[in-house]
Amino acid sequence: MRLMGRTGWGLLIGWLWLTGVASLPAAALDVPLLSGRIVDQAHALPPAVAERLSADLAAHEANTSNQVAVLIIPSLEGEPLFDFSHRVATAWKLGRKGTDNGVLLLVSIKDRKIRIEVGYGLEGVLTDARSAQIIRNEIVPRFRAGDVPAGVTAGVQAILQTIEGTYRAPEHPTATPSSSDAFATAAFAVILGVVVGLFFSRAHRVLGPVVGGGLSFLAAPWVIPAVMAGAVSLVLVGLLSKLGPSSGSRRRGDGSAFDGTWFSTQQGGWGSGGFGGSFGGSGGFSGGGGDFGGGGASGDW
Amino acid sequence: MFMSLTRSMGGVVLLAAVLALPGCGYNDLQGLDEDTKAAWSEVINQYQRRADLIPNLVNTVKGYAAHEKETLESVVQARAKATSVQVTPELLKDEAAFKKFQEAQQGLSSALGRLLALAENYPNLKADQGFRDLQSQLEGTENRITVARKRYIDKVAEFNKMVRYFPTNLTAKFLLHLEEKANFTVADEKAVAKPPEVKF
Repeated sequence: MRLMGRTGWGLLIGWLWLTGVASLPAAALDVPLLSGRIVDQAHALPPAVAERLSADLAAHEANTSNQVAVLIIPSLEGEPLFDFSHRVATAWKLGRKGTDNGVLLLVSIKDRKIRIEVGYGLEGVLTDARSAQIIRNEIVPRFRAGDVPAGVTAGVQAILQTIEGTYRAPEHPTATPSSSDAFATAAFAVILGVVVGLFFSRAHRVLGPVVGGGLSFLAAPWVIPAVMAGAVSLVLVGLLSKLGPSSGSRRRGDGSAFDGTWFSTQQGGWGSGGFGGSFGGSGGFSGGGGDFGGGGASGDW
Repeated sequence: MFMSLTRSMGGVVLLAAVLALPGCGYNDLQGLDEDTKAAWSEVINQYQRRADLIPNLVNTVKGYAAHEKETLESVVQARAKATSVQVTPELLKDEAAFKKFQEAQQGLSSALGRLLALAENYPNLKADQGFRDLQSQLEGTENRITVARKRYIDKVAEFNKMVRYFPTNLTAKFLLHLEEKANFTVADEKAVAKPPEVKF
């Protein structure tokens, strides 16, 4: 201790300051865990109300695929309402990917603030003006009367009525996209590259593999499959063109079958479907990958 | 012997070239270039949306507060100024023009802010359904602008990094002739730099 002396302490404090320990309190509010359709951190809703609302929202999603969630927090702790609301909505990824049909109803009890955050795909029906009307006419009067559960319920009902009929749930749940497609395209790219490459290698020994490899590279989807497809074609054309001329007949069938098996063992490097939200747990609720562009309205009571 | 040696050498070189292709960032650069353009279009789109809302807003306010000529005029002028800036793809490369565009939009923002603050003094105006709807639309548009700007800022940062990093900078410079793109600066640097006022 004595060794440290004053400068030692000064340096330590300076280091703490530099590394940001001293500036911790400025951190923004954390995005709450998406534990269900109703996330009530302020305990403003009686369990019965929360359950009923949650069931309504689940039924609505089953019919329309719209994902609506409610978040009630005790306080924004100084963060601007819109910043927090948009952050939560994009982190939760409410709504389906592609249709972006999600809505978040956010209530901050201490700040007495309300926001309806609307996904891209619902901005046309649940317009800013309509969102503001719901807040002003349905939610605020009940909140002012001190009945938060009734205000939230009325707000949710109005939102559901407004967005009813915009989208319909798909008849068949969509298969995880692109993984098999990507494989098929990559395999096709290799076959194409090998066939064309072999053709060119009759004319020129180096040109064949180059053309074949290049073609596979260009035809394959994305970078990693493209490199693999290109390299496979390059090597294959190189090998096959050496074997080929002596036997006279090209073993195209062999070549492509070989590609297929080789490639299938290499699979797995891609194909994450990009379905948002990774909340396990039985019966859990997770966002479908929807995006938010800032639509909706704010209000206070 | 010589033939096979050159051939295998050629093969190795070619293989290396093909493997190195993605490393040069050609596709990534092209993709990011397109992404930044899309993000920029969204920014313009939202600014345009705001400009489209203004004539209606001005007319509605006039109905209740026609004598507030100065404020109304300043909004109309700021809108004219903001919409007069030619928005071309070249704007992104031209730092000065970009700055001018940003200033014009900022001028409109502050003129609008004054107009909405003025509305607080007119209870009848505040209660007008049309005005309320316009106000919420305007607010929503401001939020969308914020989001669009943020997404543009992020994309441009990503793009500019690739343009400057090695070895993708070589591809950007010699092959694609891409340059760094202009980015937004913090909306109001003076306001940010000013220490917060504390009142007791």
